[in-house]
Amino acid sequence: MGIVDYVLIGLIVGGAFYLLYRSLRKKKGYCHGCTPSGKCK
Amino acid sequence: MTLQNSVRPLPATEPAPLRIAVAGNPNSGKSTLINSLAGTRLHVGNWPGVTVEKREASFERRGERIALVDLPGTYSLSPYTQEEVVARDYLVEERPDVIIDVVDATNLERNLYLTVQLLELEIPVVVALNIHDEAERMGYRIDVTAMERALGVRIVPTVATKGSGLEALLDAATAAAGDPSRHRPRRLHYGGDIEAAAEALMTEVLRGHPDLAGKYPGRWLAFKLLEGDRRVIDEAGLQGIEPLVARAAEHLISAHGEDVESLMADARYARATGLTREVLTKPDVRKIELTEKIDRIALNRFLGIPLFLAAMWLVFKLTFDVSAPFADWLGTVTAGPFTRWTRVLVGLVRGPDWLISLVTEGVIAGVGSVLVFVPVIFAMMFFITFLEGSGYMARAAFVMDRAMHSMGLHGKSFIPMLLGFGCNVPAIYATRTLENPRDKALTALLIPLMSCGARLPVYILFVAAFFPSRSGTVLWSLYVLGIVLAVLMGILFKRTLFRGDSPMFIMELPPYRMPSGKSLAIHTWEKGKHFLIKAGTYILAVSVLVWFLLNLPWGVEQKKDSYMGTVGQAIAPVFKPLGFGTWEAASSLVAGVIAKEIVVGTMGEIYVPGKAEAPAGPAPSLSEDLREIGTSFAEAGKNAFTNVFSTAGIKSLQAEEDEGTTGLRSVVSKTFTPLSAYAFMAFVLLYMPCIVAAAAFKHEFGTWKWFGVAFIYQTILAWSVALLIYQGGTILGIGG
Repeated sequence: MGIVDYVLIGLIVGGAFYLLYRSLRKKKGYCHGCTPSGKCK
Repeated sequence: MTLQNSVRPLPATEPAPLRIAVAGNPNSGKSTLINSLAGTRLHVGNWPGVTVEKREASFERRGERIALVDLPGTYSLSPYTQEEVVARDYLVEERPDVIIDVVDATNLERNLYLTVQLLELEIPVVVALNIHDEAERMGYRIDVTAMERALGVRIVPTVATKGSGLEALLDAATAAAGDPSRHRPRRLHYGGDIEAAAEALMTEVLRGHPDLAGKYPGRWLAFKLLEGDRRVIDEAGLQGIEPLVARAAEHLISAHGEDVESLMADARYARATGLTREVLTKPDVRKIELTEKIDRIALNRFLGIPLFLAAMWLVFKLTFDVSAPFADWLGTVTAGPFTRWTRVLVGLVRGPDWLISLVTEGVIAGVGSVLVFVPVIFAMMFFITFLEGSGYMARAAFVMDRAMHSMGLHGKSFIPMLLGFGCNVPAIYATRTLENPRDKALTALLIPLMSCGARLPVYILFVAAFFPSRSGTVLWSLYVLGIVLAVLMGILFKRTLFRGDSPMFIMELPPYRMPSGKSLAIHTWEKGKHFLIKAGTYILAVSVLVWFLLNLPWGVEQKKDSYMGTVGQAIAPVFKPLGFGTWEAASSLVAGVIAKEIVVGTMGEIYVPGKAEAPAGPAPSLSEDLREIGTSFAEAGKNAFTNVFSTAGIKSLQAEEDEGTTGLRSVVSKTFTPLSAYAFMAFVLLYMPCIVAAAAFKHEFGTWKWFGVAFIYQTILAWSVALLIYQGGTILGIGG
């Protein structure tokens, strides 16, 4: 495992957390009652 | 030239000068008409400040730019429901160029009540006399010319489900908008007393507030003031006008002995009734309609509930029969060619071994395990949409209402609960249609017990592994378990947290109709697409994180020694009495708190053996893979067709079991027993709502309190029911 691996892992884990945060926190419309603007029925 | 060919989407940046608002009663076929007019151009959002759905579309037709706005379905424009307020505010404040009023020709009188109110707004109106074919079949004759004369607006007979009359409707709408002075609706006279009082009041008001003349239709404003409409008084800045209004209304009240609001409603109904008598001729001897014939059975006191349960059973059986071969096909493609191609691609960019493992054992195993259930979700949503569109779901709510009411539950609550079969989140938001805050909270608490689409992947995995020949029945039993427990918990809550009577439930039963293919496709897609979006977001993110948790500390030999395994082992004893006390099951359930599909995704990552190493022997070429994918897809289609007409269950699954297929289903069938599998499915059905549902609770109620109640009671309920199933079954010697 070199420095590149660690950087890559950091980016992937960071990206996954960001995706999860964006999905949960901003609710970007993941059910048919939600809209892309983040509002829900 | 068809309607769809004659319009082209409008670039979002261009202004849309011709604004058409589409209004109408619920069940008047408004949604179908809008879908036919706008199709995929419809953009769905929310009206500002409220959670009522706003659908709009912009397009160009014969060189004319059109912006179509679908107003919420309402019976009137009084300010009692959010839908009515939204529709009225839009019409009064935005003043569209023309209103298309969708009128159900089979229910003319009731629909004309809204028409009469729309005419008061002095905006050009075009009436779409919809469901015209059904009215004709019923023997109704509607004198369109007389109706046009009486209302002073164009009437266009339409059949939205067949797209008939829509070109003429748009022609009439553009003509009316192009020359509003020629298409001004007729002023319907509400009687000397009312008109005189309105006239006097309007003169007085405009004398003091001349600026209002251009802002509101004067006669409409006077009616609203006479009715004491607080919202209009505040919005028009007429606070303090009450004494003047009281003086104007004094004569009306003393002469008629009724409040002005009732008088106005009577006057509007009188116009709607009178007009209906003038233009509508019904056959002397009314035929017993098909709807009535079916309802005699579907709404029967004794047959209603068994029929509803049978309909649900059929839905689950068909869902499983049609979709399982395609789910198998997707599983084979994901685990075989797709994994191979990905491994080659990552190898080409000289990705390290851990990256290949992350992609194949993490992302593909996690997301892939969930994505294989896409056909199942869409099949289920298709059949539910079909039942909704046919009018049967309204009957189901009616039938269940009677049963629930007799046990002290609020009948209207069953509507949001039915929505919960698709997704619990919009169902929780739909509780705002309930007026009483306590009924609203109670209903929201029960919604998570309705089995949403996200739980389906878990059920399908276990049902296919353990109960392939009784798939429909087992699936059905889980949904029924949710409903029965919701009823029991409802009774418990009603006697503890939510004491009090439940109000009457009045529900409209639309006639049975064959839903159009287009409408079915659009609604199925709307219901099912969130599953795909979730796969690319929550599930992808969690799959990556779970892979790291299963491989940390770095270089860990056994998955059970990883961080995830350690946590799983710590929790597993809690589930031991329930029959699934393994760290794998415990970890999957914990991850499933984010979204229930993730239970399967996590299992995919934990159970499926490593695929980082390329398999021994020569790999098939790309063309061989593609040929195999095509052949197996055709085979899946054939199997789906055979399954539907086969009473013996799911051929493809049985065949696969015989062949001793590896993969998640195979591993699961070795680590669970039929009894523990059923207990596990019941636990997944009942344990805490997913995180998005938790956010919906907070958003809707402004507090975490009700989510806290749901979390506690559901956790206890899930554990107790799973315990009862497993221990009870073990004692009785069933399925161990």
